[in-house]
This record gives sequence, structure tokens and C-alpha cells, in this order.
Amino acid sequence: MTLRNPIVFIGSIAVVFAILFLWWLASVTGTVSRAFVPNPFDAWAALVRGFSRGDLLPQTIGTVGRMLQGWLLASLIGVVLGAAIGLSRTARDYLQPTLEFLRPLPASAIIPVAIALMGLSPGMALTVVAFGSLWPTLLGTIHGFAAVEPRLKEVARCLQMSGPAFAWKIGLPNAMPDILAGMRLSMTVALILAIICEMLASQAGLGTAILLAARAFQSSELFAGIALLGAIGLVSNLALRAVEIRALAWQNSH
Amino acid sequence: MLARPPEPAIAFDAIRVDLGGKTILTDITLDVKPGEFICVMGPSGCGKTTLLRVVAGLVQASAGKLSLFGKPVQGPSRKVSVVFQDYGRALLPWRDAAGNVALALEAAGMPRAEQRPLIETLLAKVGLKDHAHKFPGQLSGGMQQRLQIARCLAQDPEILLMDEPFGALDAMTRQQLQDEVLALAAERNTTVFFVTHDLEEALYLGDRVVALLPNPGRLARIVDVPLARPRNQLATREHPDFLAMRRDLFDMMHETH
Ligand SMILES: Nc1ncnc2c1ncn2[C@@H]1O[C@H](COP(=O)(O)OP(=O)(O)OP(=O)(O)O)[C@@H](O)[C@H]1O
Ligand SMILES: [Mg+2]
Repeated sequence: MTLRNPIVFIGSIAVVFAILFLWWLASVTGTVSRAFVPNPFDAWAALVRGFSRGDLLPQTIGTVGRMLQGWLLASLIGVVLGAAIGLSRTARDYLQPTLEFLRPLPASAIIPVAIALMGLSPGMALTVVAFGSLWPTLLGTIHGFAAVEPRLKEVARCLQMSGPAFAWKIGLPNAMPDILAGMRLSMTVALILAIICEMLASQAGLGTAILLAARAFQSSELFAGIALLGAIGLVSNLALRAVEIRALAWQNSH
Repeated sequence: MLARPPEPAIAFDAIRVDLGGKTILTDITLDVKPGEFICVMGPSGCGKTTLLRVVAGLVQASAGKLSLFGKPVQGPSRKVSVVFQDYGRALLPWRDAAGNVALALEAAGMPRAEQRPLIETLLAKVGLKDHAHKFPGQLSGGMQQRLQIARCLAQDPEILLMDEPFGALDAMTRQQLQDEVLALAAERNTTVFFVTHDLEEALYLGDRVVALLPNPGRLARIVDVPLARPRNQLATREHPDFLAMRRDLFDMMHETH
């Protein structure tokens, strides 16, 4: 999402409107049944209604809160653990195979395990979201700390820098691009898992809301919920991207 | 009573270095006097960088003894600073010029308030006064190398090690930096151990030139360079003694090859 070219920017907006138009066209011409796909105006009305009179606001807060808590926990663990592993050759040699095994596991695969251990509790949801969204940040951090230019390690040795000083002044800034990219991916995973956990454990949130709307064939409410989820993903991604651009200004200064 | 001669700044005593099961350097014995500008030259692969890294404490000698001002080398020390050839990799790309100089001061535990004026002085000294807030990526090669030199000066080193520091720079910048380094070293009476593969550069800069031969790396010649200081890019390089020494060393390097 960079404003590289105003024409491209206008074009990308036009694409959004074209899709909305096709959606509207499909619903008014009766190409698909109203029970499955609502008119976009009805979906918008449902959205407004949900916020002004219904439960949409507390549900959104519930989902965003669940996502953010799990994501923050994952980011904290990922950065601290990743720094420790990335800084130590020995730790990497011992842990890399395990990490390579765990990484490709679909995050949702651990949900049954978490339910068995913790029941359908908020703690289960937090654990699943945190565990599932840990990997991009953890692996990014490990790579970022491990990939410090050897010459800079020598500079640090020549300056007799302490281990913590090296981690803080050289390791962390070097890992920053990987950490932030990992955290952005983690955020997406966290949103997905928050929704799945809500659906499975019926905790108040958008996941439950869209599941119930679908069961009741309330397609306007269903689409309003889905659009809201998309907006949450978009906004959180843009926010993190803005942080990235600020924090990594040195990369773009060439 | 006779005054005791000062301890040599760098004393190599029968140094041998083996790396990867191969002898890279052997039988290096040499005393470098405090304040001396010594140039080490020789063909590629003869072990110049390795010898410099031994002095820096980054590589351990396999045999022999190395002392700096009478003290055996245990490892890297802030009293010894290294200017690497690949300046682009030796700087922190995420810190601006001032921040890169600050790294050395932070390592020495200097309070932040005292760092500021010193950073300004150092950057001015290497001609980067107006570039304090630029990142390395925004500086030319010559400016980046100047920045690395400023960081090394910030260590206030007793010994300055330079490994082909100007090898990647164009001829003009190279000559400018040669003169700047000569002036800086003279000003602080720093001992400089300067590695180059360029015979003329070695003669232009050095009080003495050490020529190495390869396979394994060993001392071939140690030549005194009694040319007047301050040196001058034109006058010094045209001086008959300079030309004679150049010819002499040139022939020597080519005969034994
Ligand atoms: N860590 C190492 N392990 C094994 N061999 C090494 C190592 N470092 C250097 N060598 C070998 O030691 C020899 C000397 O290397 P060195 O880099 O000191 O040469 P140099 O004189 O600096 O060459 P150049 O002018 O190309 O920089 C080379 O043959 C090199 O392959
Ligand atoms: Mg070399």
C-alpha cells in the first residue's frame, strides 16, 4: 500500500467499486439467492444497525481484544525467545530441527489439544491465538539475530562490547525488519485463530456472530460481519506497516 | 645512567599462525616503535590481513609471542582499533554518522552529554561535519571510510590497524585520505600498522615498509623510508630516493616470485 503512482491508486479504488457494483448487480438481478448473498446496501444497513442498536460493537471489541492479546503475547515471547536462540549458535543447532517440524503445522491443528487440556475457556482461546501466531515472529527474530554481518561482530569484539550491548545495539536493529515483517504475518494468523476459537468455544465475538447469522440465513448480518473482519485485518496491517516505515526509515534513505 | 629504551608498541616474537591445518605465517619477528607508521605489503594471499588480525586479537598466534607496549595480547582491546577495508559492512546502517561514532564512545562507557561535543569534533576532523545526520547508505564510499576512521579515532587508540583501507576508493579520494591519515596519526602520535598491496602507497606513508613473501607468509625485507615529513603527493613521489626505493622493492618482489 504505497502511493507510488496516483493513477494506480485511483485504479485500485476503482477495482473496489467495480467489485461492489458486480456484487450489487448479482443480488438485484437475482443471479444468486438473497438468502445467500444480500444487496450491498442491505449489508451496509445491517452494519449500521448492528453498531447503533445491536451487539456489533461489543462483539468487535471482543474479537479485536482476543486477537491483540494473543498477538502481543506471541510477539513478546517470539522476540525474547527468538533473540536468545538467534544469538546462540549452540541453541540454534539444538532447536532448529524442532522448529522446522513445528512451523509447517497448521495452527488450527493444536485447537483440539488445547480444548482437551483447557476446555472451552478464554484461556484456551488465548493460548491457541498466541501459540499459532508465534511462529512468524519467532522465526523472523531468530533469522534477524543470526544474520548479523560477521564484520559487525568483529567490530563489536574490537570495541569489547558486552553480550547484552551487542544484542541491544547490533542484534536487535539488525533483526528489526524481520521482526516487524513477522509480526505483521502473526497479526493475520491471530485474527484467523481468534475467529475460529470464538466459533468453536462460543465466546462473544464476530466469529460467533457470523456463525449465528449464517445459521439463521441472515445474509445481510453475515456479510456485514465478514466485511468488518476484512476491515479489522486491513486497519491492523496498515497500522503495522506505518510503524515499519517509521522504524526502518534508514532502509529507504539510499 | 642510561634511559631504558621505550617498550615497542608492537613486538612480534617468532610468530607463527596456522589456520585450517596450514601454516599461513611463519617466523615473524619485528618491533614497531611507538608512534611509528609501519606499512606491510606483499602479494595477495601472503598473510597481511592475518598478521593484522593477530595484532587486533581477532586471531591467535599458534606459536611465538606478541606484546603491545610490553603486555602480551589476550584478545581485542579498545586501545587497538581496526579500520576494515569493507567500510560498507563495518558501519551500522541503521545509525546515522553521529550514531556510528557514538558506538565507540558508548562502548567506552562515556556519558551521553560528553559524547556530543566529541562526536562533532571527530566528524569535523574527517570532513563530515555537515553529514552528521546522514545514514551510511547516503554517503559515498570515501565518506563511509572517513566515518569508519572517525569511529576508530573515537576509541582514542594507541595503535591504529588499517587493512587496505583505501583499496576500494578512486585515486583522488585515495590520495586525500592518505594525507588525512598521515596528519591525524602525526597529531596524536598514534602507532599505525597499515596493510596495503600497493608498493607506492606503502613508501609514501611509511616510516618503514615491511615486505612479505607468500607460501608461507614470511618477512622478506624491512626497508627504512627516510623521506622528509610532512610528505607531499607530488614532491615525495618524485623524489629520487622514493623512486630508487620503489625500483629496489619492485625488483625484489618480482625476483623472488
Ligand atoms: N580462517 C582461515 N582459515 C584457513 N585459511 C585462511 C583463513 N584466513 C585466511 N586463510 C588463508 O591464509 C592466507 C593468507 O590470507 P590473508 O587474507 O591474510 O592474505 P592477504 O595477504 O591479506 O591477501 P589479500 O592481499 O588478498 O588481502 C590465504 O591463503 C588464505 O586462504
Ligand atoms: Mg587482505
